[in-house]
Formats: sequence, structure tokens, C-alpha cells
Amino acid sequence: MSPISAVALAAALIVSGVLFERRAFQLYRLIRMGKPVARFDDVPGRVRAEMVVVVGQSKLLQVLVPGLMHAAIFWGFMVLLPTIVIAMIGAVDPHATLPWLGAQGWYALMVDVFALLVLAGVITAFAIRKLQRPGRFVGSHLGEADLILALIAAIICTLFAWHASQIALGLNDYPASWAPVSALLAGALHQSWTPVLERAAVWAHVLIILAFLVYLPYSKHLHIFLAAVNVFFGRTRARGRLEPIQFEKEGMAEEDVRFGTATVADMTWKQTVDTMSCTECGRCQDVCPAYGTGKALSPKLLIMALRDQVMSEGPKVLSAADKGATYHAPPLVPNAITDDIVWDCVTCGACVQECPVGIEHIDHIIDLRRNLVMVESRFPAEAAPMLRDVDRASNPWGKPQADRTRWAEGLGVRVLQPGEQPPDILFWVGCAPAYDERARQAAISTAKLMKDAGVDFAILGPRESCTGDPARRMGDEYTFQRLAKQNVGTLNSSGVKRIVTTCPHCLNTLSNEYPDFGGRYEVVHHTVFLAELIREGRIDPLPGDRAITYHDSCYLARHNDVIAEPRELVAAAGRPVEMPRSGKRTFCCGAGGARMWMEESRGRPINQERVREAAATGAQTLAVACPFCTVMLDDGVRETGVKLQVVDLATLLSEAVERQKAWDARTKPAGSNQ
Amino acid sequence: VVVVLVEQSEGKATDPSLQTLTLARSFGQPVNALLIGSDIDLSQHGVAVSHVAQHEALSSFAPDAWAAILGHLADRLDASAVFAAGTERGNEVMARLAARSELPLAANCIAVSPDQPVTLTRLRWGGSLLEEARLHSSRRLITVAPHAIPIELAPVETKVEKFTPELSDKDLLVRVTEHVGASGGGISLTEAKVVVSGGRGVGSKEGFAIIEELAGLLGAAVGCSRAVTSAGWRPHTDQVGQTGTKIAPDIYIACGISGATQHMAGCKGAKKILAINADGEAPIMLSADYAVIGDLKEIVPAISAEIRKQR
Repeated sequence: MSPISAVALAAALIVSGVLFERRAFQLYRLIRMGKPVARFDDVPGRVRAEMVVVVGQSKLLQVLVPGLMHAAIFWGFMVLLPTIVIAMIGAVDPHATLPWLGAQGWYALMVDVFALLVLAGVITAFAIRKLQRPGRFVGSHLGEADLILALIAAIICTLFAWHASQIALGLNDYPASWAPVSALLAGALHQSWTPVLERAAVWAHVLIILAFLVYLPYSKHLHIFLAAVNVFFGRTRARGRLEPIQFEKEGMAEEDVRFGTATVADMTWKQTVDTMSCTECGRCQDVCPAYGTGKALSPKLLIMALRDQVMSEGPKVLSAADKGATYHAPPLVPNAITDDIVWDCVTCGACVQECPVGIEHIDHIIDLRRNLVMVESRFPAEAAPMLRDVDRASNPWGKPQADRTRWAEGLGVRVLQPGEQPPDILFWVGCAPAYDERARQAAISTAKLMKDAGVDFAILGPRESCTGDPARRMGDEYTFQRLAKQNVGTLNSSGVKRIVTTCPHCLNTLSNEYPDFGGRYEVVHHTVFLAELIREGRIDPLPGDRAITYHDSCYLARHNDVIAEPRELVAAAGRPVEMPRSGKRTFCCGAGGARMWMEESRGRPINQERVREAAATGAQTLAVACPFCTVMLDDGVRETGVKLQVVDLATLLSEAVERQKAWDARTKPAGSNQ
Repeated sequence: VVVVLVEQSEGKATDPSLQTLTLARSFGQPVNALLIGSDIDLSQHGVAVSHVAQHEALSSFAPDAWAAILGHLADRLDASAVFAAGTERGNEVMARLAARSELPLAANCIAVSPDQPVTLTRLRWGGSLLEEARLHSSRRLITVAPHAIPIELAPVETKVEKFTPELSDKDLLVRVTEHVGASGGGISLTEAKVVVSGGRGVGSKEGFAIIEELAGLLGAAVGCSRAVTSAGWRPHTDQVGQTGTKIAPDIYIACGISGATQHMAGCKGAKKILAINADGEAPIMLSADYAVIGDLKEIVPAISAEIRKQR
């Protein structure tokens, strides 16, 4: 053991430790500056997410090659972590090592293998960045990424050089045969240089790691500390739920009501961690329907812009607070983010689904909208009639409430009156199926099928109101909460337990958001309920030979995990063909996030993009399970002229049931029993 | 001292300005009015002094110049508050004054009490919300929501002081240079008694010639559906619908429009709807009072020809 080495290592540790701590403490204060948000519940769910998303790398592995690349580096570093300590001991005393582990042959083997994997990962990453150059990196800090990759490569190379020279000098505490790669390299070393190389390599290894540690919290590579934190505090249940605004709360001053996000000072701590966790990988940008159709929004650039604001304005807010003063940070919109960016979002959640570090982009967008709408009254003018009509007429088109039952005329559907015995199933129709010509067919078919199967159901008719979803996604939390309370009052007083709805937006609001307002019901989508009826043998469809491709609604598949049942219905009605983007990784129709009520004036129309994808499957029928998708995609078919028929799954199933009946009538002549 | 910007139209103070005077009087005395251009009698409205700014550059609206004059007058009188009507002009001038003097502006107020700090009630959200707010400021800048307060008379003796304001070139950067009527023959969609609209069925931008011809003969405004603006055949200002203009004509002639809910939400105010469509099953048939089933490219020119013959 050399005392000079010990002093040098201690000095290096102290310097890097102090530098790291100073930055880390500042970041910690910036996070603690954030507004409160409840993310400490459901610990088992959080641990599970940690295991699946972080340890299991599930989000990254959604795209195979870059996923394996990252997994190799991540798992590699998990295995290599103890070698940092081993190297520090070795730097001070070439003859010492970490007790036990440093002498284990199996560990030496793992280090050898995983170091090689990391190197392969780094080379793959370079190849992706330099040769393939995917579009998801547009706008990212590319030079920074190169530097980080170079540092990782240097860490691995110095590790191999050290191990090889150790073996060559016989300094290895583990059996050399267990480290084949290092042993192979040892054979190639020139004897005279080996002792110098051994010292140089181990010190270079330790110092690069310490330099990396200091550099990390200043770089986008901060995610190696924060990704695990951010994933842990992500939402575990009810992904489609938005955090309600507490307008009135006991002991809360009026000034403390948070109307979304105006400046960095309004962000929640989770949102701050979101921005710091971003690695600029661009997986969100790659799947974003707005970005993909040439609009202003890129979820990645949005988060990066917010991070820049946190880093530049956050410290000013903190230092003013230290002096007992208030610093008014500039508004985020339009300084860091344009209005267009905020309004381009369809809240489809593709970005959230893709993000490997648990960033929740929708929450940022909605908070920016809340501020623009409720504080600034600044939003696309064409959406104003919707907000007004939802508020005053309880539906987005300002139609009379009395007309809510018109779609059901002649169907013999029971309208539940106040005080009546509740039915087994409340059929929540929703505004679009009740009023829109094209969307109503789904409601009619569902009602017919339920009648056929002998289901005891009723509708609320004029007592049903818009759930408030479009107003909420616009940022108009006032109107949403008023409607939510009104509907919860109606539903609770009617004693309803189980609700069926054809609208995924109603489904999301009723099941995920109404519990915040005292409404707890079992809410199922009509596709799920109809699949249940088929399994129970209560309806009997005969599949036709039509090729059907099914378009997953974002609010059904992504926000509420309904993926299998609609496919059961497709199989019951015809021949299923899948689109490239389906299930959890579906592509929006363009109507979500209240975009239904705004003009799509930037970029190419999202709905046309989607119907072209559907037509390319060769299917004749485009099956849908959402009234908004129905309208958007039907428009898309008309606009592009592709040969497709847009039909709701309930209608397709209804046709299949009629087909079976016709078949039965032909094979079993009337009057005969069996 | 309270200063009120009074807007005028055809030699009379506008109603929103008179409403503003009513509210301003309750806030503080004496009330000084600022008139731009010509003097009008404000003695029925409790105005102690009418300041009339006259300058050759003020023949047309110049919001920065108005803000400059208003600011100088308020400085000269050491006004505790400056009021204007919450009209497009009033809000614009006051916003510019607020920016110049780095003071907060409370827009669209319907009640103001001269406490310390000033408490006020503001109309938000197109009138569906009332906001209680406190205004901390050395000089209060307030605009008053139009048609929210009744005009009350308070006859006093009014002194008139005419003056020529000093204006820099910078103050005159923004000003109205020309008035241009809206396209479509100057008939606005919202006010037209007859609207002739075309949908996807019209087929092309050029196809609108027959729609425009019919509209011209009927003295009607031309409208269109969302599909048409999406295709770029007509500007968004022509769009009738949920996300376009909502109209209420005596008769609405919808040519080649299927009648999507989004469109019908914009024309439900029409007294009568005449649908011309090749598809007899189109949803618009449910709302139409009259319908012609057939090719609009034949039917619309035939109607135009018939009108010409009748005249």
C-alpha cells in the first residue's frame, strides 16, 4: 500500500464528491420547490413498475435493437458497480481487493462478459447515432450524447486494460481462467510496459468514473440517477386520470389554488423530476401524432424547453425566496413554449406509453392549458362554442337535452326515472352517440344486442349530461367539475352499480376521474360487455369473410388497457387484419384532448394518415370502438377516397348475429325442433 | 381625480363609455373625461372637465397615440384611476397604457370599490364567471365590461378644455390606414338573411362559382362546410359550423353538404333549411325543411337561371 496513492484517491474523492454534492443539492432544492402532488400511495404498484420498467427495461425493449443496446449497457453497469470499489482499492494497493467478491471467479466472468456487452452496446449506440440517424434525435443535444458514449467506452476500455495487465503481472485475486477476455488481452501485452499500464489503467478508470460522476448532474445523462426515481413516482393505476384542481379546501388560502402551470414556480415536484429525467432519446417524438404530421408539438422538445426553464429560472425563484422576496418567473407560454404547441396535443398518451423514464407529458400539457384557459382566457377561438355549450346545454353541440333519447325511438329502451328500481346495467350513451348521426349506430346496435341477450338495462335520457371530458382536456376544470358533481349526484341517487358505455372518453372519465368526486361504479366498455355476452353464450355470432382491421382508441387501449376484448369481437364478426400501429402502441384518430372541437390548421390531417394506414392492410372494413374515432376516420375516408367502410364493432357484431340467425333459419326449417 | 376615456360615434358618446362614466363617478371625484377629436356634451353624465385632444394625426384610430395622451393627462391631473370602456378599442388603449406605465390593468370590471386595496368584480369566461379581485397599484387602470351597468344621469356643469397633444412618431406607428369590408360582397355570414353554402359535393374550389352566382342573385352570403376549408377551397371565415361561424338566416341553402353534427351545430339557428344533395339518405335530410335530391351542378345553375328569367 502506498500512502501517496491513498492521499491522491482521498483528494480525488473529496473534490468530486463536493462538486457532485453542490450540483445535486441544487437540483434537490429545485425539485423540492415543486408544488405537492400525491405520489406516495400504492407502494407495491410502484415497486412493480420499478421492476418492470427499470430493471426489466420494458419500455426500451418495445423497439428491439435500441432496446437491447440500452439493456446491455444498463445491466452491464449494474453488474460492474462493485468494480468501482474494487478499482479504488486496487488503485491504492495493487495487491489488495474487495474482500470475497474481488476473489470470486464467477464474478470475474460476469464482469468480463458484461463489460463486453456494454462495449457492444456503446458501439451499437454509435452506429445508430452516426449511421442510421433516426429522426427521433432531431432537436436533441447530439454532441453531449457522443461525449457520454465516449466516456462509457473509456471506462470499459480502462477496465479491460487494468484486468489484462493485472493478469499479466499475476496481481489478479480471481482465477485468470474465469476472465477469458482479460486473459486473452493479457497475452498480447508487452512485458516491459505492463507495470506502468497497470497503474495508468486503474487510475484512469477511477478518475474517469469520478469525472463522469461530476459531469452527470449537469448533463442529460442525469437520468441514470433520476429515471428510477421518476418511474417509482409515476402513476400506477388509472393512467387516464387527470389530477383534479382543489378549488376549495379547508385551511387553504384562495391564493394557493393552482390554476395549472403559468411559470416554473407552478410545476409540481413530479413535473420537475420529469424534466430532469429526460435523456432526449426522442421515442416520444417518434410516436407523437402531432409531430408526425408536421405540427408544432414535439413532446421531447416540450420537456426540454421546460427543463431549460427550470434550470434558468428555478434558481432565481429559490434565491429570491432565500432573501424573503418573490421572483416572478416569466410565463412559460409563449416564452419557452408557443401556444400552438400547447394546443396541438391530442392527449393520446403515445409519448407517455413510450417514455422509458416515466415522463408524463400529458400532465404538463393539461396544466399549461388550464392556465391559458382559466387564467388567461386564451385558447383557439373555435373551441369556445363547445365550452359554452357543454356548460350551458350539457352537450358540446348545444342540442336540447330532450333529444337525448331520439336515437332510441322504436327500440323499446327503458328510460330510468328518478326513484325507480335501478337496472342491472346502466347504459351511459354519451353525447356523440345520442346526437351524432354517424356515431348513433353504435348505440343502436349495442341496445339491440343487449335486448337480444335479455340484459336488464336502462338509459338516463335527459338526465344524462356530458361527462365534462372535452372541457377538462381543454383545461376548463371549472366546467368539468360542475358537470362531474352533477352526474355523480344523478348516478348515486339512482343506485347504479354497473355502467356500460360505447364511448372510451366517457369510460375514462366515469371510471378513473369520477371517484375523485365521490362516484364509484364498475364501468365497462361496450366491447368488453359484448365479449362477455358472447363468452356466456348469450349472443351467438357467425363470422363473415370480410377482412376487418381494428383501430384501437387511445382512451380505450392506452389509457384503459382494453385491447383483447375488441379483438374477440373482430374475430366474431370477420377476418382480423392488424395495422402496424395497434394495441397499446396505436395511433390517434386526431380527436382526443378536445382536438375534436378545434381546427387542424397545422401540418397534415392526422385522420387521413390513419385511414391510409388502415387501407394499406387490404381490409375492406375499418372497425372502431369510439364515437369520435368513428367521425374522424369516416371523414378521413371521405377526404382521401380510400376504399374503406368505418363501422363500430357493435354494429359488426350485430350483423354477425343476424348472419347466424339467417343460417339457423336455413339449416333448421321452421316448426321443427332440432 | 378620475380620468375616463370617452369613445364617440356619430357625434355621441357610445353607450359603453356612458356606462363607464357611471361606474367611474362612484369611484372618485372629480371626473375628467378625455375626448379624442371633437367635443361632445357630457354635462348629463357628471363630468367636471372635458379634455378634448385635437391633432391632425388623430383623424383615424391610433391606439398608442391614444394611450400616450391618456397617460399624459393622467400624469398632469395626478389621477388616482383611469377608466375606459371594455370595448375592443378601450381594452387595447388601456393595455398599451398599462405596458407604457408598467402598471396592472383590470379589464372587464362590473363593480369597483375605492377601498385600499381596490376590490373589484370582473367578468370572465364570456360572462359565465365572476371574479373577485384586489388591485394593488398606485394608479388603477380599469376597463368596464360593456352593457353590464345601467347608465345613470348626473347633471353638472362641464368645463371644456381643448388642447393639442404632443405626439412622437413612435406613438403613431400603429394606426388605422384603411377600412376594408369583409369578402363575400360585404354581407357577413352572421347577419345575412340568406346563406348559400357549399360542401364537399361542390367538388373543387372552382365549383364554388355556381354557389357564388346564386348567392349574388339572392343577396346572400356564401358559406361552406369544414370539409371545404380543410381542402383549402374556401377560407375558414366562410365556414359554418361548431368550429366556424354560427348563423341564423331566414333561409339556409346547403348544397352538397351531408350535414355532419359539427356542421348542423352552426346552422341550427336557420329558420328554414333547403338541402340540395345527391344522397337522399344524407343526415341533413333530417333537419331540412325542403330538399332537392340530385346533382347540385345541374340544380344550382337551374335555380340561378330561373331567378334571372323571373326578373
